[in-house]
Amino acid sequence: MSDPIAIGLAGVSKRYASTLAVDDVTLSVAHGEIFGFLGPNGAGKSTIVKMILGLTYPTAGQIEVLGQPAGSLKARVDVGYLPETFRFHDWLTASELLHFHARLARVDADLRADRVRELLELVGLKDRADDRLSTFSKGMMQRVGLAQSLVGAPRLVILDEPTSALDPIGRRDVRDRIRELGEQGVTVFLNSHLLSEVEQVCDRVAIIDHGAIVAEGKLDELLSAQEIEIRAGEGAEAAARQALGDAEVRALNGRLRVRVANDEETAILVQRIVEAGVSVYDVRQVGDSLEDLFVRVAERGDV
Amino acid sequence: MSAHLIAFFTLREALRRRVVLAAALLTFGYLVLYGVGVWFGYRDLQNTPGGPPGLTEGVVNLMLVGGLWSLNFIASVLAVFLSVGALSGELDQGTLHAVAARPVRRSEIVLGKFVGFTLMLAVFIGVSASLMILIVAVITGEVVGASWSGPFLMLLASMLLIGLALAGSSRLSPLPNGVIVFTLYATALIGGVIEQIGDVLESAVMFNIGVFSSVLVPTRAIWDMASAQLAAGGFAGELSAGPFGASNPPSGWMLLVAALHLAIALGFAVRSFERRDF
Repeated sequence: MSDPIAIGLAGVSKRYASTLAVDDVTLSVAHGEIFGFLGPNGAGKSTIVKMILGLTYPTAGQIEVLGQPAGSLKARVDVGYLPETFRFHDWLTASELLHFHARLARVDADLRADRVRELLELVGLKDRADDRLSTFSKGMMQRVGLAQSLVGAPRLVILDEPTSALDPIGRRDVRDRIRELGEQGVTVFLNSHLLSEVEQVCDRVAIIDHGAIVAEGKLDELLSAQEIEIRAGEGAEAAARQALGDAEVRALNGRLRVRVANDEETAILVQRIVEAGVSVYDVRQVGDSLEDLFVRVAERGDV
Repeated sequence: MSAHLIAFFTLREALRRRVVLAAALLTFGYLVLYGVGVWFGYRDLQNTPGGPPGLTEGVVNLMLVGGLWSLNFIASVLAVFLSVGALSGELDQGTLHAVAARPVRRSEIVLGKFVGFTLMLAVFIGVSASLMILIVAVITGEVVGASWSGPFLMLLASMLLIGLALAGSSRLSPLPNGVIVFTLYATALIGGVIEQIGDVLESAVMFNIGVFSSVLVPTRAIWDMASAQLAAGGFAGELSAGPFGASNPPSGWMLLVAALHLAIALGFAVRSFERRDF
């Protein structure tokens, strides 16, 4: 594992007729990392996932997966994938589906039965092993899909919305599984709308909008920027704008909402407003979460 | 190589989904009806005095070739129905994504499905044609013109349709693909009729239209070869050549045309499926 990169995208674009679905994306995911991939609907997330898997071809750029070109058989041997649609051949039983995928993933014949049994137990479907998938609920289908993605003992797991059909307990189970994978050194690429999920398990995230990466980094770094709300006298807005620039300041219900990088910047800002001769009555921090970050990105196209 | 896994999976799906069971039940019903028809037909024939020498053999052979003609038709319909949504249908449903993300070449998916469907049709044609020959033999006490090459050629005709349907399915949704494949199949059938009429009327244009349709889709020409193999010689052969076969069966070159046709269809299916975005 000399190459520290599990997934590397360099200048990747994808054009469908007149639509540019993915626009010059450069991204890398390190080995053993749990990487969260976020973005509004239609931002290009699933297209990127499919390009990483070699299911869709980029119009421009290069993609490397586990040191191999994306889509090559060598790369695929060590990759597990749970598709967003989690649709499988429903005439199979849960056990048959996993056996089929174990054979496709080239798992040794003498390991298959044990692996399938363990995984069905892991996702809580041991008792339904011999039932046809056509009798499964959506949540059960998604759980068997998760087991399917792990059946080849992959070094990289790509999960596209893995908990969309699960109840809160099922979601917690999946989060636990993802954490366990991380502890085992497996790289996880998690494509999810559920921001709390990403916030709870991911080491690093990227946010994509209109086909381009608009934010990328460690979660605590991305979230360290905070918003404060200031109640002050007339002229505060002008003073704040002078101090920080237009993009960071907005007026809301007679108060000012200002984005600051840290507490130090808050102190300086208050000082400037006071220096401008404006009274400051109240300053309070408005909590910033991944959701705030996400919404801001989705609305404005930047952070 | 994973093509054998896909082939086995394709076979198992048809068995599990009861496609084969439904086809087997319907064919069984058809064979029972056929047997009843042969029994009454043969009885009437024996009760009819006179007639040219060889009439009995001719009619028995005609009943056999006619019966196999309808089996060939059922096999063709089955081939198209099975394979018309094999690629695009699965992509639309999303069931192929997890499979295609495995270390499996797309060519293995296409060829695996082709082999799976072919095996299924081989069993269908083998069993039902054997039963039909047996029915005729038991009822009439004679089998005129039965040969193994007939059913093999019937299988080849079905393989041509599977190849065409897979080629279409690499790009088109099941419905438009089905319409196109059936239209081509019908074109070949009608082309055969035009060719026969052209032959009788000695019209070169009509004859050539038929030949052209055979080159375009050789399914009917391959059946004509099959029926020529099945038809007995002399008067018996002339009788059965009429409605269910060509008076001038195609030459051996048609086998080469069929092989080329199959190779081109499968080559296109693989290439087009390999380039497709999922």
